[in-house]
Amino acid sequence: MDQDKIRNFAIIAHIDHGKSTLADRILELTGAVSKRELHSQMLDSMELEQERGITIKMNAVKLNYKGYTFNLIDTPGHVDFSYEVSRSLAACEGAILLVDATQGIEAQTLANFYLALENDLEVIPVINKIDLPNSDVEKVSAELMDTFGFTKQEIILTSAKTGQGVEELLDRIIEKIPSPKVNKDSKLRALIFDSAFDPYRGVVVQLKVVDGKLRTGDKIRFMSNNASYDVVELGYSNPKINKVNEIDAGDVGYLCASIKNISDIKIGDTITLDNDPAKDILKGYVPMKSMVFSGIYPLETSEYNDLRDALEKLKINDASLEFTPETSKALGFGFRCGFLGLLHMDIIKERIEREFGINIIITSPSVIYKVTLTNGDIEEIDNPSKMPEKVKIAKIEEPYIKTSIFVPTEYIGQIMELCENKRGNFVNMDYINKTRVNIHYELPLSEIMYDFFDKLKSATKGYASFDYDFIGYKESDLVKMDILLNGEIVDALSMVVHKDFAYDLGKTMVNKLREIIPRQLFEVPVQASIGSKIIARENIKSLRKNVLAKCYGGDISRKKKLLEKQKEGKKRMKNIGSVEVPPDAFLQILSAKE
Amino acid sequence: MIKSVYIHIPFCNSICSYCDFCKFFYKKEWINKYLDSLKKEITDNYKGELIDTIYIGGGTPSSLDINELTKLFEIIKVFKLNNNYEFTIEFNVEDISSDKLELCKNNNVNRISIGVESFNKKHLNFLERNQDVNIKEKILLTKKYFNNINIDLIYALPNQSLKELEEDLDKYLELDIPHISCYSLILEEHTKLHNKNIKPINQDLDYDMYKLINNKLNEYNHYELSNYSKPGYESKHNLVYWNNEEYYGFGVGASGYINNIRYTNSKNIINYMNMKYSREEEIITKENNISYELILGFRKMSGININEFKKKYNIDIIDLYNIKELLNKKMLIIEDDNIFINKDYLYLSNEILVNFV
Repeated sequence: MDQDKIRNFAIIAHIDHGKSTLADRILELTGAVSKRELHSQMLDSMELEQERGITIKMNAVKLNYKGYTFNLIDTPGHVDFSYEVSRSLAACEGAILLVDATQGIEAQTLANFYLALENDLEVIPVINKIDLPNSDVEKVSAELMDTFGFTKQEIILTSAKTGQGVEELLDRIIEKIPSPKVNKDSKLRALIFDSAFDPYRGVVVQLKVVDGKLRTGDKIRFMSNNASYDVVELGYSNPKINKVNEIDAGDVGYLCASIKNISDIKIGDTITLDNDPAKDILKGYVPMKSMVFSGIYPLETSEYNDLRDALEKLKINDASLEFTPETSKALGFGFRCGFLGLLHMDIIKERIEREFGINIIITSPSVIYKVTLTNGDIEEIDNPSKMPEKVKIAKIEEPYIKTSIFVPTEYIGQIMELCENKRGNFVNMDYINKTRVNIHYELPLSEIMYDFFDKLKSATKGYASFDYDFIGYKESDLVKMDILLNGEIVDALSMVVHKDFAYDLGKTMVNKLREIIPRQLFEVPVQASIGSKIIARENIKSLRKNVLAKCYGGDISRKKKLLEKQKEGKKRMKNIGSVEVPPDAFLQILSAKE
Repeated sequence: MIKSVYIHIPFCNSICSYCDFCKFFYKKEWINKYLDSLKKEITDNYKGELIDTIYIGGGTPSSLDINELTKLFEIIKVFKLNNNYEFTIEFNVEDISSDKLELCKNNNVNRISIGVESFNKKHLNFLERNQDVNIKEKILLTKKYFNNINIDLIYALPNQSLKELEEDLDKYLELDIPHISCYSLILEEHTKLHNKNIKPINQDLDYDMYKLINNKLNEYNHYELSNYSKPGYESKHNLVYWNNEEYYGFGVGASGYINNIRYTNSKNIINYMNMKYSREEEIITKENNISYELILGFRKMSGININEFKKKYNIDIIDLYNIKELLNKKMLIIEDDNIFINKDYLYLSNEILVNFV
């Protein structure tokens, strides 16, 4: 194949700016699928998936246009997955930066643009949805020019919906995006940018051959862990699956090598030949690291094994999910799970409940704290209940992020107030134009875990968009706060909080628990403590009445049923010490922290 | 051996806001038909046992007129009464008249249960009961004919103060009646109150009211959770229920317990009047029976006699369920061969009884 005629590119955009519609239109215009097929194609795929239980969704599609080969590479759309986005972009030479003509630049527009720049991509700016009556091409053009330095001539105007401007865009791709720089004669190096699990073929690896050539039957090696496999199948999607015998330098495709465990495949890793390995791994590889941890427990203890099976099944398709067994005095047997971020955590939670039908309790999410002990040892703590005793701690560091909050200027005050309340340090503010700014704050990662998104939304009537980068660890004045029920620590409710916020939070938690936990036969103190110091206390009053006031001939069977119902209710309670706690109390307390 | 009979008269002249019993607006043309069906149900089922107690409840049995009541008593004559029998009929205050009382007296009735519920017009209005009748006068009239009288009181009403309850109790005490039933208001489904989304009062106040009742009625024998009596005036009929003994239940929606089956008649009055009475049945196994024995027996202050229990079931009661643990926790107490709920836990008795279902 003629490498000069290959164009590898991705579409990058803020959510809902029209990425999928544009991809569909490109598929249609390049003749990969007809308009009619566009739909039936998807249906066929789904039927096939159901029939054979395989995943044939391909994240890279090969298209032909005017004698050129286009490899359109899909990227995930959320900040939690920015590393995967960056590896997908690393397989490209160019990117289409799509901006909604009615919205303008948003937080992820910016984040994605910088990821593209880091990967030396040629960026083609496109303003989409120009057919909408409320589109403002002038304003959005100005934003693109001011923020990213594009010229007016570079910007293409499209309506992915009607197809207007899309052909011009395709021509521009040929003209502007460079062909891949290749070293055909160098030793094989291929970049892994995605993977999925297929029960019949094992792990399907999406890759771009950077140097050399990959052939069916090659014995390959993953450079991060030196695992080696024999290539069983190579191919590409157009979007039907096409098997090939080789993939040349500069080109994109998939590989199957009877790989059973998706955890063996690291996004960003380099494939080389086992008997003739390249010397250096391709730059940019970083092992995936969980940022957010929480305990997942089955609501019914009998569902522990089902929960483990569910997590194992989810991990088959999601190498970034980590879990290890843990026990909680309050919640019994469960798992400590690591996630890339909060969205990732939500996705996993949803899938466990929806796809596997298991009711779970998620403990409050925690970051990894770096704790320096007085003896100089450093411990990484991902579970607040495991925090060492206060006297043994020299200092605690916590992860910080830097925000990009895109917001109309009239909400600057609200945003700053919100961020200050979340222990934020103001960095600076970029004016995108006269009416919109990008506000940068440094915030502890832990502070955006509870209600930051909700508060952001309500403070700005939904006009804000938000993105963040992890910027490293900083020392903070943190303490472990415990919650005690009838004098016993409830490990699942322990949390690490800033000292200045502990009293208020302790009060809120204790109040909330008093409301949630029903009265018991005896008075139950609910306390919040730091070390041995009680910082908040409430009492759950003792139960005064639970009686069948009236019970005569006509009622007897009914009254017995009523008692049976009460007994069922008691069975569902979690016993914490001698206190009966309704199973949803944890969800309630954790979801309504403030 | 069945020794008790319950008869249900479902008709009422007005519907109370809290009532979830089987009841219908009084309809003259229904009464005769209903009584005919009742007669058939009784003759179909009654095996001629000697009867200790009869209880006519409702609904409002006193809503029947003199002729209808006469017909009812004719039907009831079929039961062979034992010596020392107790025969109760329920009356609404406004139905009390010399004629009706005399008719009752002449037909073996020896106990009247009067649904007073409250002496306070505001609360009577809330309960949707008649507020225009002189309660005291009616009760004094009743006393001319009967000495075995019960009055029902309802407390824990929304916006009721402790003081208002005390006034009700004082008015009751002034009348010097030998038996009183006091019920904390239950907001049952399918009642007007439930439909109006009325919420129960705070449980601390409810408990304080219960304590007030116990204090005010200290001259009475608090023999069952909700019942207080002068010595010798305990309701024999209700004790049959709480002693887990068998009884006939006749009439639409009535419940009975015969030959190890607890049954409830259908509430469909049209079918009933067409003499098609169907019933829901629960077969009582030995285990089930013990469960009922405990749930019902522990309603009585004297609780359950350990020896009689052993005779009946051939099991030591303290080996059952977690009774030993409850004794250790002093939630249950044994005294003089009787096991009963500690008075301090009586208002929490469900917390104990759930262990036995």
